[in-house]
Amino acid sequence: MLRRFITLLCFGFIAALQTANADEPLPPVAQWFPQDAILTLEISKTTDLLDLVLSPILIKAVTSTPAYQNAASQTGFKEFQGVIQYLETILGIDWKSAVQKLLGKGVTLAFLPDEAFLLAIDAEDEDLLKQLHDTLLGFAKDDAIKKGEPDKVESKEYQGVTGWTLDGKEAHVIIGNRLLYSNKSKVLKDVLDRRAGLINQNLTENQVYQSAKKTVNADAALSIFLRLDILNKLPQMQKALAQNMNPLLALLLAEIPEAIQKSNWLSLALDVSEETLSLNASMDGMLSDTAGPMTFARPDKSNNGAPPILTVPRQIAGISFYRDLYKFYAAKDDLFPERTSGLIFFENMMGIFFTGRDLTEEVWKETKPEIRIVAAKQEYDPSIGIPGTQFPAFAVIFKLHNPQKFGEVVEEAWQKAIGLINFTRGQQAQPGLLIDRPVYNDIKITSTYFSSVQEEKKTNLDTRYNFQPTLARIDDNLIFSSTDQLAKDLIDSLKKEKEQSVESLKNTHSVVELDAVQISSILKTNRETMVRQNMVEKGISREDAETEFDLLTYVINYLGHASLNVGTQKAHTNAKLEIKLNLPNQ
Amino acid sequence: MPVPTAALVSNSQMGKKSPTESHIQVDPQWAWKPYEPCAEQPWNLRWAGHLYRRAAFGATWKQLQQALADGPQKTADHLLRPQVDINGFDQELGEYESSAAKSESAEGIRAWWLRRMIQTPHPLLEKMTLFWHGHFALSNTSVKNAQLMYQYICLLRQNAMGSYESLFDGIAHNPAMLIALDSEKNRKAQPNENFALELLQAFGLGPSHFTENDVRETARAFTGWFVMKNQSRFIPREHDAGSKKILGEEGNFTSKDAIQTVLRQPAASRFVIRKLYRWFISEIEYPPDPLMAPLEESFAKDYDIEKLVSTMLRSNIFFSQTAYRKRIKSPVEFALGIIQGMEANVSTTKLGQDLAALGQNLYHPPTIKGWPGGRHWINSATLLSRCNLANALLSDKSLYGGKLSPLAIAKKHGFSKPDSTCKFLLDLYLQGDLDSEARESLLKRVPQSTEANDYSLELNQYAQQIFSLPEYQLV
Repeated sequence: MLRRFITLLCFGFIAALQTANADEPLPPVAQWFPQDAILTLEISKTTDLLDLVLSPILIKAVTSTPAYQNAASQTGFKEFQGVIQYLETILGIDWKSAVQKLLGKGVTLAFLPDEAFLLAIDAEDEDLLKQLHDTLLGFAKDDAIKKGEPDKVESKEYQGVTGWTLDGKEAHVIIGNRLLYSNKSKVLKDVLDRRAGLINQNLTENQVYQSAKKTVNADAALSIFLRLDILNKLPQMQKALAQNMNPLLALLLAEIPEAIQKSNWLSLALDVSEETLSLNASMDGMLSDTAGPMTFARPDKSNNGAPPILTVPRQIAGISFYRDLYKFYAAKDDLFPERTSGLIFFENMMGIFFTGRDLTEEVWKETKPEIRIVAAKQEYDPSIGIPGTQFPAFAVIFKLHNPQKFGEVVEEAWQKAIGLINFTRGQQAQPGLLIDRPVYNDIKITSTYFSSVQEEKKTNLDTRYNFQPTLARIDDNLIFSSTDQLAKDLIDSLKKEKEQSVESLKNTHSVVELDAVQISSILKTNRETMVRQNMVEKGISREDAETEFDLLTYVINYLGHASLNVGTQKAHTNAKLEIKLNLPNQ
Repeated sequence: MPVPTAALVSNSQMGKKSPTESHIQVDPQWAWKPYEPCAEQPWNLRWAGHLYRRAAFGATWKQLQQALADGPQKTADHLLRPQVDINGFDQELGEYESSAAKSESAEGIRAWWLRRMIQTPHPLLEKMTLFWHGHFALSNTSVKNAQLMYQYICLLRQNAMGSYESLFDGIAHNPAMLIALDSEKNRKAQPNENFALELLQAFGLGPSHFTENDVRETARAFTGWFVMKNQSRFIPREHDAGSKKILGEEGNFTSKDAIQTVLRQPAASRFVIRKLYRWFISEIEYPPDPLMAPLEESFAKDYDIEKLVSTMLRSNIFFSQTAYRKRIKSPVEFALGIIQGMEANVSTTKLGQDLAALGQNLYHPPTIKGWPGGRHWINSATLLSRCNLANALLSDKSLYGGKLSPLAIAKKHGFSKPDSTCKFLLDLYLQGDLDSEARESLLKRVPQSTEANDYSLELNQYAQQIFSLPEYQLV
């Protein structure tokens, strides 16, 4: 246990003694890093992150999870706590302060070719770093003696610096307040050569790194730079970004794969503000001109873009797209030259539903590019019945150019589809959907449902009771909803939106918002089903499956609210992810 | 004498013979008498392992040790009627399984059945359920309904050790069976002869024991049976109540009468008993008629499956060279044997997929005759796949997550040094019974590393070597 703990700590902090020119200020860490770093992670404002990670609120959030409480009752965890307390006594500092003083001036991690990595930690307290290192060296030596094994700790002088290894594989040095650690000694030797001026090239001189670095706000707490020019050459990456992908995925991702293919770098910058995390992503790839087949997600006018997210009660997710389905489908021969049998089947079915109309010119052309999707937790009427596994309700909202003319065409197609479902289910001796056409808030809707009259018990019903497929049209909005309740909530929401005259989001083609509290809630509702699934999928006991599930729901619950905006500005793709944490009160 | 693939059975194994028996002519009285250990045929680890491989899905170290202490008859008692809370286990697993079936998850019910096989306190019951799944072989490919398939497996389990008459009758009227054989509507005007043919040929009597007329008349007896809303229903007005002549007997037979008539045929008992002989004793030799006669006579009186299985598992012939390693493990037996020995659990969702790739997709037998088994299980591709599966089960980098650890199981039972650990693994999985050449080869692979991680990896490789041995492919 002790040995494992030491190894763990060593990977995090380790130190080695002996510094040359210890009093001289150290240059920026990137000057010691190699040019060919594929991914570089820089935490310049460690205090911002540590303040959040070590905040009493987050610690309370973690320690209150069942998984933590379960782990805390284990002997191994108590031993671990004992070692931490021992270190606190020896070092004369509590563990939280120690972490802050050891990581306080920044952490840089680079992943290099040949599965190598290089880690640099700039400690706020140089003495503490050395003291911890000495203590850990002592632990390692004592442990070897106890086990009757040879002492594996070794040191060697190189370029006037003492390098250390604990197991003959990893290598590390301490220079001033900086710990440098790598899984390959050659990488560390190169660092020391670079420091000594024997190797001239370093990361700061790399143009790709320089360009990426410019896009990152200097105040960012954490930044990541990814070399796409290198990754794009990998066959796996090329395959993943190939244009001949699944049509639905192509519609969803729009120009993102093209942007990645044409980019040299991707930069990510994380800002931390109280309980809000903001991650901005940028790429340098210039997108093709406006006539290309992939421009179906690019607004044709400067003030166009994805519509605002619709909100309904118990909302789990809201998604908003700017996607010109007509343009997308008209370009299908360019986008999917090898059309799949699935696409042909889809066209045949749509031909039946839309009475022989041309799918591109007479169906998709009737839709506007503003598309919205909403998912919400369902509320069930106990007198009708509650299914055993509860699914969220979801709906897609299209906008029509000619709602009066095309509305009835869609209504006819919808009723044909319901008829087909009923016919197919009937063939399998399964009950069908009943069609109703009630009026809600002055809007006539076409609602369908499974009758539960013959169900003796109204609980733990089949999953089909999650669905009451419903079609509704309000002004130019066409709602396809999985439940009648969500369709009604959307009618209310759209009426409210009409009164407020909202505007589209400029330069944005995709918006996603998630309410983690609602996600956590629906997961908890289906706890039993998910625990059982986990048992057979992972081959674990019921107790373990329950612990894993509870941890997952706790973590999701703390994520609070997340939003992602993706757009194109001046032919560049950028994205912003914002997470508002939902931490417990102190 | 036909033998399995030459590569699978070592010469020394095939050469061993009991001094009192002949493969062709065995005294039936001696053969079916309960085995009593003697100086010539002592009760040892070898026979304990043999019993657990056949009557269960392999054994844990503790079970093997207990069997050694208890002797063959008491161990057989325990396997036939374990003195543990089976109902509690059955109720819990049943709830999980029915929930998966209700959500129409064919993969889910397969995963839960494998989990049941691993955890059950009554492994013989599951082994027999698996046997009947191969005999009354229905596939969800035809039925396309997880709930009906689950109900069908429940029916097999419920009767797996009970009355063959009830089992046959239940299966013949089971909605999944009627759907699988395109017999959802047995109208008086259009009797389903295909259903009757399969009932007689694949399930009841085997080929060449009936005429075309018997098929036609049996089909008439089943008229009136329909599947409606996924339930079997008898509609009297659609039943042909006229006189029928089936297998030499005449009367206004109903479907139940037809089944009784089939079961009264000597061929009916012979057909199923010979299949069980292949399952429990040997799939290499076709048993001579005099050897099977006592079993057929006894079984025809009461159709008591448990009594028949008990006779087989306790018999002298079962504990003889006629039976020892005379069947090739199915993929389920191969994988579950590894898992049982390690006393762990794994992702049965993933296992179900891997076993399907090895040719044994539970709930989806390839034809109405089930899995052909025997040497059909083994070819160069499936042998390699078996090695890969063993590798995946032990690797912490696979989706199985490295939950099976030879090192941990050896330590648990007090074996920590490399030599003793390797001997333990050999005893656990092969009861130390392998020829000198294989033993020498394994000796060279005893882990030498002093580094803990490397030692564990080398031990995994050693275990993989065991699982790739021809001896391990035999049950």
